[in-house]
Amino acid sequence: MAPPVQSHRSPSPSQPSGKGEVSDLKTQLRQLAGSRAPGTDDTKRELFKKVISYMTIGIDVSSVFSEMVMCSATSDIVLKKMCYLYVGNYAKHNPDLALLTINFLQRDCKDEDPMIRGLALRSLCSLGVANLVEYLVGPLGNGLKDGNSYVRMVAAVGVLKLYHLSASTCLDADFPPLLKQLMLKDKDAQVVANCLTSLQEIWSLEASTSEEAAREREMLLSKPVVYYFLNRMKEFSEWAQCIVLELVSKYVPVDSEEIFDIMNLLEDRLQHANGAVVLATIKVFLHMTLSMTDVHQQVYERIKAPLLTLVSSGSPEQSYAVLSHLHLLVMRAPYIFSSDYKHFYCQYNEPFYVKKLKLDMLTAVANESNTYEIVTELCEYVANVDIPMARESIRAVGKIALQQYDVNAIVDRLLQFLEMEKEHVTAETLVLVKDLLRKYPQWSHDCIAVVGNISSKNVQEPKAKAALIWMLGEYAQDMQDSPYILEGLVENWDEENSAEVRLHLLTAVMKCFLRRAPETQKALGDALAAGVADFHQDVHDRALLYYRLLKYDVSVAERIVNPPKQAVSVFADTQSSEMKDRIFDEFNSLSVVYQKPSYMFTDKEHRGPFAFSEELGTLSIGTEPSDGAVAAQRVEANDKDLLLGTSEKEESHGYGNNGSAYSAPSYDASTTAGASQGNFDLVSIDQPSTLHPPSGFAIDDLLGLGMPAAPSSAPPVLLLNAKAAIDPNAFQQKWRQLPVSLSQETSIDPQGVAGMTNPHALPQHMQGHSINCIASGGQAPNFKFFFFAQKAEGSSAYLVECVINSSSCKVQLKIKTDDQATSQAFSELFQSALSKFGSA
Amino acid sequence: MLQCIFLLSDSGEVLLEKQLTGHRVDRAICDWFWNQILTQGDSLKLVPVISSPTHYLFQVVREGITFLACTQIEMPPLMAIEFLCRVADVLSNYLDGLNEDLIKDNFVIVYELLDEMIDNGFPLTTEPNILREMIAPPNIVSKVLSVVTGNTSNVSNTLPGATASCVPWRKTDLKHATNEVYVDLVEEMDATINRDGNLVKCEIYGEVQVNSNLSGLPDLTLSFANPSVFNDVRFHPCVRLRPWELNQILSFVPPDGQFKLMSYRVKKLKSTPIYVKPQFTSDSGTCRISVLVGIRNDPGKSIDNITVEFRLPPCVTSSDLSPNYGSVNVLADKTCSWTIGRMPKDKAPSMSGTLVLETGMERLHVFPTFQVAFRIMGVALSGLKIDKLDLKNPLSRPHKGFRALTRGGEFQVRS
Repeated sequence: MAPPVQSHRSPSPSQPSGKGEVSDLKTQLRQLAGSRAPGTDDTKRELFKKVISYMTIGIDVSSVFSEMVMCSATSDIVLKKMCYLYVGNYAKHNPDLALLTINFLQRDCKDEDPMIRGLALRSLCSLGVANLVEYLVGPLGNGLKDGNSYVRMVAAVGVLKLYHLSASTCLDADFPPLLKQLMLKDKDAQVVANCLTSLQEIWSLEASTSEEAAREREMLLSKPVVYYFLNRMKEFSEWAQCIVLELVSKYVPVDSEEIFDIMNLLEDRLQHANGAVVLATIKVFLHMTLSMTDVHQQVYERIKAPLLTLVSSGSPEQSYAVLSHLHLLVMRAPYIFSSDYKHFYCQYNEPFYVKKLKLDMLTAVANESNTYEIVTELCEYVANVDIPMARESIRAVGKIALQQYDVNAIVDRLLQFLEMEKEHVTAETLVLVKDLLRKYPQWSHDCIAVVGNISSKNVQEPKAKAALIWMLGEYAQDMQDSPYILEGLVENWDEENSAEVRLHLLTAVMKCFLRRAPETQKALGDALAAGVADFHQDVHDRALLYYRLLKYDVSVAERIVNPPKQAVSVFADTQSSEMKDRIFDEFNSLSVVYQKPSYMFTDKEHRGPFAFSEELGTLSIGTEPSDGAVAAQRVEANDKDLLLGTSEKEESHGYGNNGSAYSAPSYDASTTAGASQGNFDLVSIDQPSTLHPPSGFAIDDLLGLGMPAAPSSAPPVLLLNAKAAIDPNAFQQKWRQLPVSLSQETSIDPQGVAGMTNPHALPQHMQGHSINCIASGGQAPNFKFFFFAQKAEGSSAYLVECVINSSSCKVQLKIKTDDQATSQAFSELFQSALSKFGSA
Repeated sequence: MLQCIFLLSDSGEVLLEKQLTGHRVDRAICDWFWNQILTQGDSLKLVPVISSPTHYLFQVVREGITFLACTQIEMPPLMAIEFLCRVADVLSNYLDGLNEDLIKDNFVIVYELLDEMIDNGFPLTTEPNILREMIAPPNIVSKVLSVVTGNTSNVSNTLPGATASCVPWRKTDLKHATNEVYVDLVEEMDATINRDGNLVKCEIYGEVQVNSNLSGLPDLTLSFANPSVFNDVRFHPCVRLRPWELNQILSFVPPDGQFKLMSYRVKKLKSTPIYVKPQFTSDSGTCRISVLVGIRNDPGKSIDNITVEFRLPPCVTSSDLSPNYGSVNVLADKTCSWTIGRMPKDKAPSMSGTLVLETGMERLHVFPTFQVAFRIMGVALSGLKIDKLDLKNPLSRPHKGFRALTRGGEFQVRS
């Protein structure tokens, strides 16, 4: 396989190196712009194609923007489409030039061809330039009322795009109620579905601040609306059906009759060709019947066949996603699937990730009646060429043995594995035999006979070696030559790299000595000497402990090292049942694939000020239980985590900030706080800008230097750089280096505390005062924030740790700075900014 | 929902990037992803759903092209994967295959298609019939047409009629000079035969494929002589489910052209049409191998395209294999494929030879799994039979055709 292409800009023979070609294109396009000669369109098309292919391979062709726009006056729809594509890609970086495109896009929005109207509207909404939202409102409004469903469909999604650009513009234009009307009346199902997705997202995001939006969100789950969707189910496209089914799964029916009605209505969805629809339907069934045990079991029976078919009919990727869900169900109710065990037999050419899931399921469904067949099948895998697979299979056999079915036969099989003389098989089996003996000491005789024959030279893996040594020590009295084998191992002490093995060796020799002292004395002496001299702390300590124990009293040593043992009845399960239940609640989501509840892997998205548009977006998808567990996780998160959490996000967000860097100049925090608030709102929705790429930083510095005259009359001398930027790692480092220059306790306006329900409100507010939030966390009543600010002139920085107790309204501040002289002034500034929170 | 889709070549080059939401996904994610593939060694070994430090990634690999989708929010994983599979299907359908060059040559079409298939991260339509009406495929006919008429646009100027009709998979005013409909039963036999020659598992996965070239809005009913053989069925959205539940009749208004009407499974079959018997005997550093192939249960039609494939264990240093029928190929990665072709009438094909093991190894401990492929024309091994196909509102009597075919699917014999 060829090495990855490190940089897509690197010149290669087939790729243009950049500049020269782009400027060529520029002149050619310019010549064409005004031309009306026949054949112009064809030439244009070739040129456009070239521009877009450059764009695709990653060459920056934004410099031809104005030429492209000039050439866009055409009736050729392919040209138009290419132009839209280009504009959509570069408008964000060139907000000024984007204004040029508005004109022709708006004109196209009134074209007589509905397809062009739709495409133009889609491009207009996808420009993503916050300053231009005012031009969106008109075309969107017309689009929602358009006679053609294609245009309405585009407009419905367009409203959501507008909302993300500027929530206030979208709400002021009264789009959500319009969408609601369309959703309940439109005769085209795709329009209805698009309205639904847009409204779900908008109202979920608004719900935290507006009661009305919260009510509307509830309305989506009310009986009439859900029934309306259910009745139109068959009109929806397969993807829209998934979205509607997701909505239905959140609906709570009043009685069992309703549940049966809904399930009867949806039953045929289980036979849909699209696996995503089937899985969404299954989720509805499972969730609705959760409280009705009998029906819940019947649901399992009913969904079994469709799921198994999905597994066997799709591509490996689809099988994997389905199997992950099946895995979850099998783990919950193994007995229901126990007769279908053959479906979980592995095929030779399946990817390993599929086989692994299947093995898990085979171990789960094993019971009295099928254990023999399953173990026979697993034994075939052990002889397989695929080594990881052979290992997993042996582990699976072991797990089944620990479930107490047919142990006798399984032990025989395991012992046969040892006779196969393959290193990885032997190693894996030894580990298992050890576990088995801990649970079933009665089998020790049979096992020991075989294990005793294994030459320790053939076992190299530390885990296996440790297991073998443990057995040699534990069953020293039954194994004729155990002292001598141990002696041989002790002689090679220096060559043993694994501390785990050395620890086991010490203990084994000790146990052996306590039972067969004369034969082991030499080995023990050598082992203790080597152990005490060992460089590994644990080995050293254990050797010393044994030595002193033996010196003190041998019978005490016996009691400590070799007490009578009880058989282990149950090995600890790695995953608690509570966790499994939580994953089950999140059926048909990523949680199932990762086999972790979502709070365990999405939490970094919930921290820091960055991800909030995404985070709240999650709510609208709805599989996120926002409850105690998430909060608990947050409390555990220490400061370091908080910082790391945001630094990971930097890369993906830094890009977008470029756009907003244009709009906000450096300003005097103490005098113009209110004025800049509005400006800030426009850019904040999509990219809460705290971090900036180096280029943005440079521009800001220039701006900061350019405005020294204005504030000379204002009394508070401390000016902050509105666009201060720091890398979270740098922040962390600085925080560690600097001493606390000021530590204060103050209080916060109770009104402000009310605003704390939205974790992003405070960072937003403070940013309005040129104080940026680096990281935040905590749960009510204790919240913790890290802030950063920078002096407008000079580079001295202020770092703040701010702990807010929302029940007592107390705030603890720790300020660190490299300019001690101004720390008091900054503290006053900070507190005055904080005191305005909630009252503004 | 999905935030971005990348198409990557088999060397990790970004062929195409389609941003879906206002939140831009940086291309750096592709480098991260490709590093993961390099550490795994093979794109097929990488789990389809992975989480990178910044995004959750879904990947589907088809013909060396990796379809990579990114998102940051929770969503049904199967939905993303299904969608990517559909994108791959539609593209290969449009471009008549799928490879790096085809995508590079037709990237404008790919952009156009993605534009109609997904908006703001939510899948819209993936129905090939509808897409075809919005964006004309780059086939020869349209190229010829464009030269003749001088109209070079490959976009139809009208919106598809179907988007407004109540039968979304079909446009309303279709006209065909030929009035014909073909129904194919295509079955795949999945079987596993264990070391002792016992049939561990044997089932059929089948599809009813229809190629319809009918004018107007035809209403078809298809019935089977023995619908009771089905264990589980799945239907194209055009099938009306009520008649199926009542009388096991398929009633539907077909999309135009080729489509999959239904898929089904038939479990617990008792025997396979052919047998493959491998045998290994080891003796002091060499191993004799012999493989016999023959007819176990005569399906009544000839069996052809027979191949037996297996991979020699890594401990085999050299091999010498000779068949009495067909030809054997041993590749560098120790994959042996024995091509038999049509089953001969007079003799049973066999292959024998010796394997030389690594020095120090006495006998062979690991044994290969044999994968068997075959094809039987004219027979559906599940025993499924089509009873009749009726057209409710015929403008004229259409020509109807039926075929059946069984292939070896996951047919494996362990040794």
